[in-house]
Amino acid sequence: MNAIFKRELRSCFHGMIGYVLTAFMLVSTAIYFVALNLGYGLTDFGYYTLYRTIFMLLLYIPVLTMRSFAEERHSRTDQLLLTSPVPMWGIVLGKYFALCVIFAVPCVVDVAMILVLKVLGATAVSTAANFASLLCYYLMGCAAIAVGVFLSSLTENQIIAAISGVAALLLAYMMPSLRTMFTAGSAVALAVFTAIGAVLSVVAGLRSRSFTLGCLTFAGCCVALTALFLLQSSWLTEAFSAVLSALCLFTPFEDFVNSSFSIPTLVYYLTVAVLFLFFTAQGLEKRRWN
Amino acid sequence: MIQVSHLSKSYGGRPAIRDLSFTVEDGQIYGLLGPNGAGKSTIMNILTGYLAPSAGEVKVAGYLLPEQAQLAKGCVGYLPEQPPLYPEMTVQEYLDFVAELKGVKKPQRREQVLRAARRTGLEQVLPRLIRSLSKGYRQRVGIAQALLGDPKLIILDEPTVGLDPAQVIEIRNLIRELGKAHTVILSSHILSEVQAVCSQVLILSKGRLVAVGAPEELGEKLNPGSRLRATVLGDGETVLAAVNAVPGICKVELEKEEQGEVTFTAESQDAVDRRGQVSRALSGAGCTVLALAAENKSLEEIFLALTEEAGDAPESQEHPKEEDDQ
Repeated sequence: MNAIFKRELRSCFHGMIGYVLTAFMLVSTAIYFVALNLGYGLTDFGYYTLYRTIFMLLLYIPVLTMRSFAEERHSRTDQLLLTSPVPMWGIVLGKYFALCVIFAVPCVVDVAMILVLKVLGATAVSTAANFASLLCYYLMGCAAIAVGVFLSSLTENQIIAAISGVAALLLAYMMPSLRTMFTAGSAVALAVFTAIGAVLSVVAGLRSRSFTLGCLTFAGCCVALTALFLLQSSWLTEAFSAVLSALCLFTPFEDFVNSSFSIPTLVYYLTVAVLFLFFTAQGLEKRRWN
Repeated sequence: MIQVSHLSKSYGGRPAIRDLSFTVEDGQIYGLLGPNGAGKSTIMNILTGYLAPSAGEVKVAGYLLPEQAQLAKGCVGYLPEQPPLYPEMTVQEYLDFVAELKGVKKPQRREQVLRAARRTGLEQVLPRLIRSLSKGYRQRVGIAQALLGDPKLIILDEPTVGLDPAQVIEIRNLIRELGKAHTVILSSHILSEVQAVCSQVLILSKGRLVAVGAPEELGEKLNPGSRLRATVLGDGETVLAAVNAVPGICKVELEKEEQGEVTFTAESQDAVDRRGQVSRALSGAGCTVLALAAENKSLEEIFLALTEEAGDAPESQEHPKEEDDQ
């Protein structure tokens, strides 16, 4: 795991990519920092700088993560990693931690910016709030990196990995506004859950190579959903909005921007990271079984 | 070192190897031989734990494969078909990385890397970027990588593909050298290579094992009939008549007759050595035997016969896919 971590870190700064990405992130943060925090004398670094650079993460993270597994697979170096006596989680974590360290570089500069604000007269409370929101920002980025790593492990084409990464993060970014479109009522929830049920049944049918099993799964889903719709339709809508809000990757960060420290938010980001790294390891393991 | 029983692997329903069983003994050089698409790479990928078998049991160095893969992988050095190199690293960096990856302890790492580089003739290029190396050197880096961690078993997938003749000879010598201290398995579709290097040959065709054994043994196994070639002083007619009269000899062919010397080959249906009988028959006919030798079929003949035979079998119609088409 150590070897993979070091190699990944080094390879990012062997070429241009590590420097370009870091510069990109630094420039975009610095613009907001100089224009808003320094220009107007605002001490809230979380809201005026970090919150506004989330959009930059939508580009930064997919480009950072696109190479991780796609490139290994493309150049067949995955054969070396997967035949070495390193467990699968060691490979995934080694790569993931290296990417987290690369993302930490601009965050360390953010620490310097917060300290500048402190020197310029920010109160201890607002400095603490700034540090808290930076911590949340970093964890949010790490969660997004896990998503990107997972997408990269699905393909051997880096471009596809990057584009699907941007698409996934963009969807998560816009989910709060998309969600309002779906609050119409339980009928929409029913339709969406039925569609999800249909997809699951098709997958189950294909995986088990049994048409009957697929049909039975779908029938079971339909019966359960209809029963819920008729008897307890509020459960459906609640479950639906809960699913949608779990997909809003960037919304929980707003808790920190509003100068409050929220443990559930941190737990949420850590869970997302763990979940997607688990998916990555499982996906790689599955490919071995074809 | 390796026990494989009833191993099968299919890619999305398409069988690549079917019901293979074989064992590999310690300290020998094994050759996996077969035409393209016979499943050589698939077998190697399974033995190294890169792919999991669809059915069957694989034991490498006493460890069951998908379950104890990590322990088994520690005993194996693997050169895949395409050497797994990172072009942006120097040879030194790359070998250090692989040594660490294979769990070589830090104090021994330097020495091991140097030794592997020395054995593969890489000392001169250690500070160079892998990107700038020629194909032959890249292949050597791939082999050096497989030697790190001092594995008991070294698996090389087509180690000499794309090399020039001088490099091929060098690599073959290296493999022979490795065979003294390690068990080596190499795959190839070049017969002469396997014949030159390997002490045991596994011949595959369309995912099935069609023959196992030492190259010389295989000749007898395939065709129990034996052939002998003799040069005799005497008259052609009498010689042929005398040999034909030996019981068990079914076919005698005159090769040449010059200045009273007759060279012929005689074939018999079973594997019984008839040199003695032939010699006595010739002496009885008043001829002097100058040379008499049993001849083995060349690996080339065996290979073609076996793979054609398997191709004719009605149940192996589809072409199994090679690993690279995935």
